[in-house]
Amino acid sequence: MENFNPRIVCFSCKFGWGYLDPHKDSLKGVTHWVPVACSGKIDAAHILEAFSKGADGVLVLVCPEGDCHLQDGNFKTEAKVFLLQRILPSWGLDSRRLRVIAAMNPDGEKIPALVRDLAAQIAHLGPARLFADSPAAGQEAEPAAVRGSFSASW
Amino acid sequence: MAQKPKVAITWLGACGGCDMAVVDLDAGLLDVADRLDIVLWPVALDFKYKDVEALADCSLALAIISGCVRNDEHLEIARLLRQKAGLVLALGACACFGGTPGLANFSSRQAILDFVYRDSPTVENPEGTIPQEKSLVNGHTLTLPAFHEKVRALRQVIAVDYFLPGCPPPPQLISQAINAVLAGDLPPKGSALAPRRALCDVCPRNRKKPARLEITQIRQIHEVETDPDYCFLEEGILCMGPATRSGCGETCISNNMPCRGCFGPVAGVEDAGTKHLSALASILRTEQYFDLAQLVDTIPDPAGFFYRFTQPVSILGKAALKMHPLDKERP
Ligand code: SF4
Ligand code: SF4
Repeated sequence: MENFNPRIVCFSCKFGWGYLDPHKDSLKGVTHWVPVACSGKIDAAHILEAFSKGADGVLVLVCPEGDCHLQDGNFKTEAKVFLLQRILPSWGLDSRRLRVIAAMNPDGEKIPALVRDLAAQIAHLGPARLFADSPAAGQEAEPAAVRGSFSASW
Repeated sequence: MAQKPKVAITWLGACGGCDMAVVDLDAGLLDVADRLDIVLWPVALDFKYKDVEALADCSLALAIISGCVRNDEHLEIARLLRQKAGLVLALGACACFGGTPGLANFSSRQAILDFVYRDSPTVENPEGTIPQEKSLVNGHTLTLPAFHEKVRALRQVIAVDYFLPGCPPPPQLISQAINAVLAGDLPPKGSALAPRRALCDVCPRNRKKPARLEITQIRQIHEVETDPDYCFLEEGILCMGPATRSGCGETCISNNMPCRGCFGPVAGVEDAGTKHLSALASILRTEQYFDLAQLVDTIPDPAGFFYRFTQPVSILGKAALKMHPLDKERP
């Protein structure tokens, strides 16, 4: 899949990701970015809708554990993503196409890199088409969740 | 005497359970037969399709159609009845959402034929015979309806005026629906002739639901001796009540079976599966995120579980149907 540039839709929590960048300068490189007030509001249906409308991958950025601005929207959305990763293979979509990252990046400058990173990692799968990915590969894949605070480790 | 309104009742890709629910009107059926002129009801009476074809367009007051659309015969009958009927009622989960046959859409036509006629351990078919649309037998051509690539709900092939979900729908709602048609007392077209609220709202077990539900272990109904007054979720038994339309009469719930979602989503919801999934996600509780793996891996076939009755009308289900347009891509 040379030259294939996967289309990534990025949903992110407004409280944890990019709120110190009011002009969203850091995000010029992100084409499909949907900031939401609390990641708990990211509906599982929005994620599937993104795939049905041509997304090749979906990146969900939530706050780290204990840091939800409200109560535990981050955990609920992580659980939604987890369950979605378990059903995607039945639709012939590799579960690695959906990734959740629990961390925080108020400046938002990491977001384009995270989007590029997911794109690079799923490029070899080719465009997302229903019933086209090998179900076995997707099923074996561990949930593609990354936890912990990036601000500390980056 | 004024002519009685004409009604057709028929099954497409159905198990017959919906027809049995009509039969379960019991004495009410005599009343229906008194007030209506039934012109087609394959499960009970001997009419032919040509009798229906001979009727004037829109001459039927109502066509009650159960079952999904999986082959050319289903499609042809659905279209014929749409042409002849003023109102079409989709009866049952299969007609409304694709129903359990819709789960076949996780597979392909080819995979189904391969398994059923070749790979199933109980099949012996050395000549590899598979059903053909046309075959020559003793100089005669026999035909079978073409088997489509995917299962469709009724509204995905014809316009449907009203929906009555359930697997099968309760006779009481069927008789209410028939009475509403006879009285001309109907909600806006496109409505489900069932309550709008979720099952939990009317469930007797709801009284003993704790303020904050948490599931730390998923259990199957046969593993637990449940208290008939307690919410199933409280015991870790997955129940679809939070995201399922009420109106079923709580038959499963009162017989110690958790809801499986046959009434489909509540009014206004497009994708029932994601609502079930989200409801569950909001009450799963583990120490660590990765423990979720162990927890949810005890759900056998999660996609089948969340979309048990609604696969073809779900977000991705509809997208998959677009890949196989009817009338264009015939097998
Ligand atoms: S809705 Fe249920 S009872 Fe009715 S035809 Fe389908 S499977 Fe049978
Ligand atoms: S989840 Fe099930 S058992 Fe609990 S209140 Fe709702 S319908 Fe009743």
